Amino acid sequence: MAGAAQASSRPRYGGTARIVLHDRVSNLDPTAEEDHPAARDRLASLLFETLALVDDQGRLRPGLASSWSLDESKRVWQFHLRLARFHDGSQVTAVDVAASLSRAGIPWKCTPSDRQTVTVEAASPAPHVPETLAMEKFAIVKRQPDGTMLGTGPYKLNEWQPGERALLVENEDHWDGRAYPDAIEVQMGASLRERLLERQLGPYAAAELTLDQLRSLDPASQGVMVSHPADLLVVLFLQADNAVAGKPGKKPVDPRVREALANSLDRATISNALLQRKSAPATGLLPQWLTGYEFLLPNLSDRANARKLAANAGPGAPSAPLALAYDFSDPIAKLVAERIGVDAGQVGITVRAYGDAHVNTKTGQASVTADAVLLRLPLRSLEPAVALAALAGDLGLDPEHSPASLNAARPEELFEVERKMLENFRVIPVAHVSQAVWLNGSTHNWQQLPNGVWGLNQLWVEGARSSVP
Amino acid sequence: MLYFAHSRFMLKKLPKLCLSSFIFLFRLGIICAQPTGQSLVTAAAHSLVQDVLSRAGSPSALAVSFQNASQMPPDLQEAAQSAIYDDLRKAGVHVVKPESALAELKIVFSEDWQSDVWIAIIQQGPSRQLVMKKVARTERSTAPRSPVLTLRRSSVWQQEEPILDFYLDSHNLVVLEPTEVALYTEESGQWRQRYTLAINHVQVWPRDLRGRLHVNGMQMTVSLPGTLCSGNVSPPSLDCRASDDPWPVEHGQMIAFYSAHRNFFNGILAGPNAGASVIPFFSAATWPSGDQRQWLFSGTDGRTRLYQRDLSVPAAVLGGLGSNLAVIHSGCGSGWQVVGSAPTDSVHPDTLQALEVAGREMQPVSAAVDLAGPVSAMWTSGKNSETVNAVMQSPATGKYEAIVLTVSCN
Repeated sequence: MAGAAQASSRPRYGGTARIVLHDRVSNLDPTAEEDHPAARDRLASLLFETLALVDDQGRLRPGLASSWSLDESKRVWQFHLRLARFHDGSQVTAVDVAASLSRAGIPWKCTPSDRQTVTVEAASPAPHVPETLAMEKFAIVKRQPDGTMLGTGPYKLNEWQPGERALLVENEDHWDGRAYPDAIEVQMGASLRERLLERQLGPYAAAELTLDQLRSLDPASQGVMVSHPADLLVVLFLQADNAVAGKPGKKPVDPRVREALANSLDRATISNALLQRKSAPATGLLPQWLTGYEFLLPNLSDRANARKLAANAGPGAPSAPLALAYDFSDPIAKLVAERIGVDAGQVGITVRAYGDAHVNTKTGQASVTADAVLLRLPLRSLEPAVALAALAGDLGLDPEHSPASLNAARPEELFEVERKMLENFRVIPVAHVSQAVWLNGSTHNWQQLPNGVWGLNQLWVEGARSSVP
Repeated sequence: MLYFAHSRFMLKKLPKLCLSSFIFLFRLGIICAQPTGQSLVTAAAHSLVQDVLSRAGSPSALAVSFQNASQMPPDLQEAAQSAIYDDLRKAGVHVVKPESALAELKIVFSEDWQSDVWIAIIQQGPSRQLVMKKVARTERSTAPRSPVLTLRRSSVWQQEEPILDFYLDSHNLVVLEPTEVALYTEESGQWRQRYTLAINHVQVWPRDLRGRLHVNGMQMTVSLPGTLCSGNVSPPSLDCRASDDPWPVEHGQMIAFYSAHRNFFNGILAGPNAGASVIPFFSAATWPSGDQRQWLFSGTDGRTRLYQRDLSVPAAVLGGLGSNLAVIHSGCGSGWQVVGSAPTDSVHPDTLQALEVAGREMQPVSAAVDLAGPVSAMWTSGKNSETVNAVMQSPATGKYEAIVLTVSCN
């Protein structure tokens, strides 16, 4: 029974868990556009709760709803709310929940049936409603007239400096009992350079690591958790084929050039060398580990075909530089964008890669002059149909794709939806990338779902005295 | 149709209604008959072939090939291939070479993170169709070890709802849950639910909720944070009230006060040790040693303290133990052992081991028993402390499993 001198399996109360986020979060609203939505969701999930939860095995668990039922038509769901209170002490009602879900853009009709029951009604059978409502986007938020947002989560917002720091304190009245730590302090964008040199996290309970930071640590011995390769690194051409041409920099790129670019990429080198094997080459939008079928999608790595396609794209087309914007705050995106430029050059396509601050939001994409953007999109659900629908939304693809994904009853139907999303090469998957978090030895019960989402509801930290109330 | 959110596939809340699916074979140490890998494979093969023939219009001659893109073991793959061939044959399909086939069928054994995924690719001329089936994975067994004493575990019961404690005799199973006490009786080798008794409480339960169930004859006492319930197993009754009365940690030998809003004992003892206090602790054990007593406390600071003779000063402060420990009277070895959990996080699978005090140290006297999930409760049980009741949550199923532990001499 060897073990650490100070180790225990039951959680202890007290203390402050200090967490470093790599990305800066400017807005905690789960429905707002955000440059780094995954980081925002990590913070927001501590404040705002969803009706259902998904655990690390992909199972649905009760959240703010204690149970739910589905009628025989498989169109109408009823969610029964537990007795819970917002952070101002007011009780959560079905009216609050319906208002919150409607504002978040739930794709179905949502109405309160009675004080504690919410009805969600779809036009056709909707098998994935609970999984959809487990996404942080659909967390329940009560909006005050002055614009402040109230949640029901295990922590309350005590201090908020956008992009810099957040201090969350435990919610003594939480329906599931108070959280173990007294507080969670989040620092955004803090440098980990010294910590990495010393290989000690020091005062921090946990720190989000980029893959290049991971290089200096031994994941096996230094408390590093690496998720499945879940984030999608993808090239998105901003202008759809049916869009109005003429605006500078916004002309649809010739589909043959897009296909040529897709065929030019050396995905294996990108995954194995640049991303240090903490990723998997992507031929689909959803990773193989999630669906089991990604390998059926065509493996586009055919440079001879790419050269041919580029040459046939019309006079001048291959030689006109393609502008590719990437998130300038993401060192991995920079590396991969530059590599895409090298690969494209091999087949006669010139790619000019440059960093930009706001490529991740639709508003930001509308203002960039690039032809395409390199995005890193989180896998928002462990249910493949819900995850694909969310990706379709994030990528701004044909609005028909989301409902088609959500209505897919069988894996082969979902495969077909995904195949269609990729067929015009407006979206070019590059890699599925892991997320990593570095944990201090005194941090316990940190859970990371396979898609990298943090589960902190059982988190506790050592070094705190057990206060006996 | 009512669903509860305890399963990815939203299983109906079966345990209360359909107990017959759980076969009680306590004496044999078996909880229920799990489908074997072979039977899962046969059923999956049958279903796949039916769908393939339905899509392909039941061609009389098929060319069939296989590819394993998963970690399915070779014996299972072989079994799957045989089952698929059998089903095709039974459906009147001739398996032929590609040049004489009406259609080609390629079956890929793939996998996702939860299950195997069998994919059938049906090629008929230029047309390609797909059939995909998710197939549950079978669990792997662990290798046995050779210990000094043997710590044995017997599964008693599984359910979706959390189990805080339970009582078991040859006719009754009483299960303490956060919101009720469920009473079961044995009928033809199966547990059948007779009653559920609601636990009425005013305060919100703390996280990591713990509770203690004590059954003496037909009387039962339930201790929960800030709440005490008393009643009867037969005729069934339960009356709960707010209370800060101490909990019985060990029958008659240790009684201690529990924090009403947390997950630990506050260190103030009652009963035989009234007036004594130790640091706050998660669990404790006491046992006779000659004509004196020894005590072990798993402190909330992560250290385990051993007291010998009296409770004034610890004789030793020990590391390397988890926060769940309970004493067991086996009659083997020194007669008494402590069953301790490993110092893992409570979200990871646990390990249990029998230990004895040697001087001022804890020595393992059994092999470690690896569990599939974390232990959420562990209490000494039996009239003479001859068993330990433990509860484990399976990460695979999410279910809570009641386990009885015994120590036997080799």
